[in-house]
Amino acid sequence: METPARPDAAAPAPERRRFRSTLLSVMAVQVATLLLLWLIQLRYGG
Amino acid sequence: MRLLDWIVIVVYLAYVIGDGVRRAKGTHELEGYFLANRGLPWWAVGLSVMATQLSAITMIGTTGQGATDGMRFVQFYFGLPLAMVILGVTVVPFVRRARVFTAYEFLERRFDAKTRSLTSFLFLLQRGLSCGTIVAAPAVVFSAIFGWNLWWSVALIGVPTVLYTMVGGVQAVTWVDVKQIILVVAALVAVVVVLLVQLPVSPDDALRLAGAAGRMRVFDLSFDVKQTYTVWSGVIGGTFLMMSYFGTDQSQVQRYLTARSDGEARNSLLISAYWKIPLQALVLLVGVLVFVYYVFVTPPLLFNPAQAQALRAAEPAAYRELNLRYLTAVGERGAAARVASLVSGDPVARTGALTAFQDRNAAVEGVRDQAMALAERVTGEPSRDVNYIIPWFVLHGLPVGLAGIFVAAIMAAAMSAVSAELNSLATVTVIDYYRRWVRPQASDAHFLWVSKAATGFWGLFACVVATFAATLGSLIEVVNRFGSFFYGSILGVFLLAMIPGARAIGAFVGLIAGMTAVGIVNFGEPSVSFLWHNVIGAVTVVLVGMALSVRWKRTPRGMSPASR
Repeated sequence: METPARPDAAAPAPERRRFRSTLLSVMAVQVATLLLLWLIQLRYGG
Repeated sequence: MRLLDWIVIVVYLAYVIGDGVRRAKGTHELEGYFLANRGLPWWAVGLSVMATQLSAITMIGTTGQGATDGMRFVQFYFGLPLAMVILGVTVVPFVRRARVFTAYEFLERRFDAKTRSLTSFLFLLQRGLSCGTIVAAPAVVFSAIFGWNLWWSVALIGVPTVLYTMVGGVQAVTWVDVKQIILVVAALVAVVVVLLVQLPVSPDDALRLAGAAGRMRVFDLSFDVKQTYTVWSGVIGGTFLMMSYFGTDQSQVQRYLTARSDGEARNSLLISAYWKIPLQALVLLVGVLVFVYYVFVTPPLLFNPAQAQALRAAEPAAYRELNLRYLTAVGERGAAARVASLVSGDPVARTGALTAFQDRNAAVEGVRDQAMALAERVTGEPSRDVNYIIPWFVLHGLPVGLAGIFVAAIMAAAMSAVSAELNSLATVTVIDYYRRWVRPQASDAHFLWVSKAATGFWGLFACVVATFAATLGSLIEVVNRFGSFFYGSILGVFLLAMIPGARAIGAFVGLIAGMTAVGIVNFGEPSVSFLWHNVIGAVTVVLVGMALSVRWKRTPRGMSPASR
């Protein structure tokens, strides 16, 4: 039985920074998409 | 369908077979056949991930759902972006660095052989059946619309897919997927453009009419676990479902095992994180616009021609009476829609006109509901009329050429999903069973031959299942239900694998406990919508697994906790 390696713990600082920026950009795009859908619902939702 | 449409379909089929088969060049070894020697670019892997998830059920069932139920199904995908980001830093590096062929192989290294065997068996059971359902979805509809024998419809999709997957392996699956997802998106965009051009009202008025009929409600904020599509079930249940599907299902794990590096594998998942919700909104928008199209063009009482014919034959008087009421109601609804679009400048008059349209639409839907209920009683089968709306529109509403392109796109969606599943089913059969238990020492050439035979076997199995899956109920829910029964629990095992203190006994017993918990809420009480099953399964596995692991850790060697 192997004990799992922890890639996140071993990840260097640039990797962690890149993950944080990726997370932020994905979330920003999702927020923008959801906002657009919300506006569509407000305008046309009845 | 006219000659040009058939030419488009034949050209498409010839192209995918040719393109897939010529990929066989790089697949003379097992690692090349199943993992493309871990050398594919991130964008190809990412498009393949999307193509694998998007099946013909999306093109037929989800668009139909858009026409009858509107946009709210998009909530189902709200958890996907977060799931992709989480997987990018958890499961992706773990399984890639283990240099495994299958996700379940990783579980043997971490826990034991029985956990690997049970999870891989569940995958074979679930994917083998769902593969048949995915072939069945378009085949059933094609056979009803074109009047073909169901077996021929299944063969038209199944045979080319099995052929190129068997010969070309994962290289063929991925590169054909890339073209297929492009075809699917192009066909959806083209249909939206054609619909907007064909409608006698402006896009703004079209969406107002759809909104008045309840088709533009996207968000349901109610917290009701019996409701399938709410914001909360999408964000919480959807995150667990997507983590389970993309993180533990070999048909998806195998996609990113083929990427050149961990970073490229992560990037491939982000394509879905960025584009899945907009794509799904586009799919539903097609359905919404088809609904508006049939406000102005008289639709049939029932879109499913087989059920309409059965109803007409068994209850001719009732059918005539219903059809007459229906045509009157449809005429009144169309007139109300025209009035509503004419008074769009005056807000008060517009509100009144939209309310009148809403009432007329309710009358139309009331007659249709009665017709579907009567058809169900006559035929003894669920109506599933929703799955026939888009194919009917394609056949009767799209211009020549584009109808062929859309049918080819439906076939592309089915083939891209099925090819990845056949490839992964063969991988698990060979790596987790044949090489693990039957012939561990055989040569690479032997395994390659067995892999091709296994692909052919699963293709045949899927085609046989497809001929029976037609009677299993709403197609989209059938596939998701198959998944939800096991997915959450398998995700729980992978989560345990990442916790340093977790032990094999905890993983195995936890997995059984998780599936039992899902079985209880599925068949008994409390009644919970299927999107929550993944949360229940995963949480149960982690809690039971960790409790057992901690208890086992404290037990002296050679003693079981029960013996103390």
